[in-house]
Amino acid sequence: MRGADYVIKRTAFALITIFVAITLNFVLFRALPGSAVSDLARVPHATPQLKAALTKEFGLDKPMWEQYLLYLKELTHGNFGVSYVNQQPVWNNLRTALGNTIPMVLLGTLIAMVLGIFTGVVSAWRRGTAVDHASTNLAIAFYAVPTQWLGLVLIIVFAKYLPTYGRTNVYLLAPTFWQHLKDVMIHMLMPSTTLALTLYGEYTLIVRSAMLETLGEDYVLTARAKGLTGWAVVRDHAFRNAMLPTVTLMALSLGYVVAGAILVEAVFSWPGIGRAVYESVFNNDYPMLQGAFLILTLSVVFFNFVADLLYFRLDPRITA
Amino acid sequence: MSSPLLEVRDLHVWFDLPRHRELHAVQGVSFELEAGDRLGLVGESGCGKTTAILAVMGLLPPSASVAGSVLLDGENVLVGGEDSVRPHRWVDVAMVFQGAMNALNPVKTVASQIAEPMELHGTASGADARRRAGDLLEMVGIGAEAGERYPHEFSGVMRQRAAIAMALACGPKLLLADEPTTALDVMVQAQILELLVALTKDLGLTLVLVTHDLPVVAQVCDRAAVMYAGEIVESGPMDALFHEPRHPYTRLLFAATPDLYGEDEVLSIPGAPPRLDEPLVGCPFRPRCDRAFDRCVTEHPSPKPVAERHMAACHLNDVPAASA
Amino acid sequence: MSRLFIEPGLADAEPSKRARGSLLWDVVRERPSAAIGAALLGTFVLIAVFARLIEPYGIHQQVGPVFQRPSAHHWLGLDDGGVDMVSLLIEGARISLTVGFAAALVATFIGGGIGVLAGYFGGWTDVVLMRITDYFLVVPDVPLMIVVAAIWGPSLFHIIVVIGILLWTTTARIIRAQVKSVRERVYVKRARSLGAGNFRLIFRHVLPQVAPLMIANVVLTIAVAIFDETALAFLGLGDPTSTSWGTIIEHAFLRTAMSRGAWWAIVPPGVCVALVVMGCYLLGQAIEDALNPRLRVAHLSVKTFRLRPLAGRSEEAV
Repeated sequence: MRGADYVIKRTAFALITIFVAITLNFVLFRALPGSAVSDLARVPHATPQLKAALTKEFGLDKPMWEQYLLYLKELTHGNFGVSYVNQQPVWNNLRTALGNTIPMVLLGTLIAMVLGIFTGVVSAWRRGTAVDHASTNLAIAFYAVPTQWLGLVLIIVFAKYLPTYGRTNVYLLAPTFWQHLKDVMIHMLMPSTTLALTLYGEYTLIVRSAMLETLGEDYVLTARAKGLTGWAVVRDHAFRNAMLPTVTLMALSLGYVVAGAILVEAVFSWPGIGRAVYESVFNNDYPMLQGAFLILTLSVVFFNFVADLLYFRLDPRITA
Repeated sequence: MSSPLLEVRDLHVWFDLPRHRELHAVQGVSFELEAGDRLGLVGESGCGKTTAILAVMGLLPPSASVAGSVLLDGENVLVGGEDSVRPHRWVDVAMVFQGAMNALNPVKTVASQIAEPMELHGTASGADARRRAGDLLEMVGIGAEAGERYPHEFSGVMRQRAAIAMALACGPKLLLADEPTTALDVMVQAQILELLVALTKDLGLTLVLVTHDLPVVAQVCDRAAVMYAGEIVESGPMDALFHEPRHPYTRLLFAATPDLYGEDEVLSIPGAPPRLDEPLVGCPFRPRCDRAFDRCVTEHPSPKPVAERHMAACHLNDVPAASA
Repeated sequence: MSRLFIEPGLADAEPSKRARGSLLWDVVRERPSAAIGAALLGTFVLIAVFARLIEPYGIHQQVGPVFQRPSAHHWLGLDDGGVDMVSLLIEGARISLTVGFAAALVATFIGGGIGVLAGYFGGWTDVVLMRITDYFLVVPDVPLMIVVAAIWGPSLFHIIVVIGILLWTTTARIIRAQVKSVRERVYVKRARSLGAGNFRLIFRHVLPQVAPLMIANVVLTIAVAIFDETALAFLGLGDPTSTSWGTIIEHAFLRTAMSRGAWWAIVPPGVCVALVVMGCYLLGQAIEDALNPRLRVAHLSVKTFRLRPLAGRSEEAV
């Protein structure tokens, strides 16, 4: 099969990256001097019993390499440790948070992609016109504002019309499924829009410059020489080629999506993984922070892998 | 009297440069082609030869402005800009681009790229277009089944053959070829040139071959026009240009041509072409000419007939008993 | 092939120092966006440098009631501690730009170093360094910054180092690609054949050629670094003893300036960040675009060539 090598290589890369991330996670939290988890003095409200339990669980009295193996072993069982704050297993907290984050981020990212691809393509095609200047400058403006700030400004403007706090209305008692869905959707609108607007700026700029590079390629001239109209050249020749670098750059910007999610969830108190990061920093809840960081890294690795496969589908030149 | 197939009349092209300057790339080029002619357009890089034929297809960038006329079968195709020239593209005039490496879209199969203009202009559609694409690939010596492959799976010479097949898709009358062999290995250049000659003869095509390479023109064309600094300085039958050049540039060009079999040191013409972003005074070739005299400094030579179908723009031709 | 046909302007001469300097100057002169970017960035740099001289009030000095509206004395009102917003913003410029420039320099030093080594030496050096870069590219910057900042504790120096050591990946990739191409140019090969050592080749011939691209990169990285500083500050990981635009936004958020309608405590710092980031983006992108030959051609555009009347021209031309 074409590119079996490629798929194997990318899979191997993803697996190695996961391993590196897991190890990095261990080193950051345990091996560095003053590291959070190993230093029990930094555990808030720690009773001697809790300290003893933690020491036993993480093997803190054992040498570093044994701790590392123990850490790996526990991870394979899905044991991320116990949150200092609510004494729940970290994984349980994270699973709930992840379930809340994914729809919100997905909605925002999809809106941003659709908008960004559309305006980026139009800008490049209309390079130098008033439409291009307007759309590019708007994109730069949205790219340039801090995510959390945009969220706050939207709160000032829309607080009268839309909920700006949390995921559900706590006063809505015993809602039906549809009432609950509607409630969540309404609450999701502000955080998703904030994320979408900041990402939209970046995506427009990425797509525009990829399209501009493509429009300088010789096959675009060939297509015009064949008698294709401007729109047909964009649709049939330039667009798919411009999507190649775009897919890669959008995948690389996933770290940015994650950062955006943390800030947006902090602003709107959306009970997701970003909010978990925010709160665990606030409360010195290091097991939670460690777990959340690992999940965020793994999700970025995962979506980069998806982007690699997509790239492979789009570009027939890839063989290895 | 029927009009010629292609008539280019006093064509000028300017390109905008930063700070409100302009590059006068083509400065009043005129030529005519009858059906079946094979014309070579020769000159150094930057002399305006590629710009001139891109203007024929209306493929100039927005930074260009054009004056003069291009008549296809008597119809002025540039008069309405992009809209008046687009219906003629590929149907009447097709082009083989410089460096076919990048002239094919890397994410589409070769056959689909050949069939595309047929569908567009209604020459053929669906399975019929696919079949014709296969026939064309056979005709250029690749084989129909190769059409299902992607350009990167082709060698350079195969891509160039595919580009030629693509140019023939809608049965054009006029074929423009811009340096079709430059990017290729010397060994396979001859194959492509033979293919071009055979196809033009078999299909009764009219050809304009743009190149910097005189031997290529000699192999393919019956007439040539030599361009220098945006102008045609001499045009005429190949034989006449070779044996009796009437412009010093043509003579020096032939002298500078490397002998394929010889080991001799290649002569080159000292100096560089003039800048085209400033007005030219006198003869543009004067600084590099070995026969320049006082008149060349002040007076711009205009093209004049020097023999049967032979024009040259050189003051030497006005001096009795002197010859370039 | 005879010399005759060498493309004019493609000669193999090494571009002089003056040509490179004028490249940057030309970019600013010919591209309005670059001029706007340079002006924005320049203005804020001046404000930051002279911050202590032009702050109208002290940044710890209560000069009126909490969240006082903008007035003739206090153009942008007062914050939650009754401190003059204009003074805070000027002080914020000083801290935010310091973090931005310092972190960008750290990042460029690391990224540029790795890029030059990988691109220049190639082979195993290249493979190893680029593999490391690939792994770093996938790690999400901001969460890692949060973790490191949370473990190290909040201080301005930590923030600069954390941002700096996480932002070098893009620089490394871009510089590597550029160095790889410069290395193959004729004048570098000639210098090598004349016996120039690696050290001399890198510093005399390669680095000067990648300098414009590096400058573009520094400018773009400043924007990202300022961004990241506001993010860290917002999450409570900023230096509690200094006032940056990020901490101003954080304070306004924590003291619920939104619900009190005190827009003047929130909007201005965000606008300042946006203006500086925009300035960096416009300037950096303009330099990058000017260096990218692939952007010089556009085979498709809604504008087409123009037709010109030949009146008066034909006589002159014939």
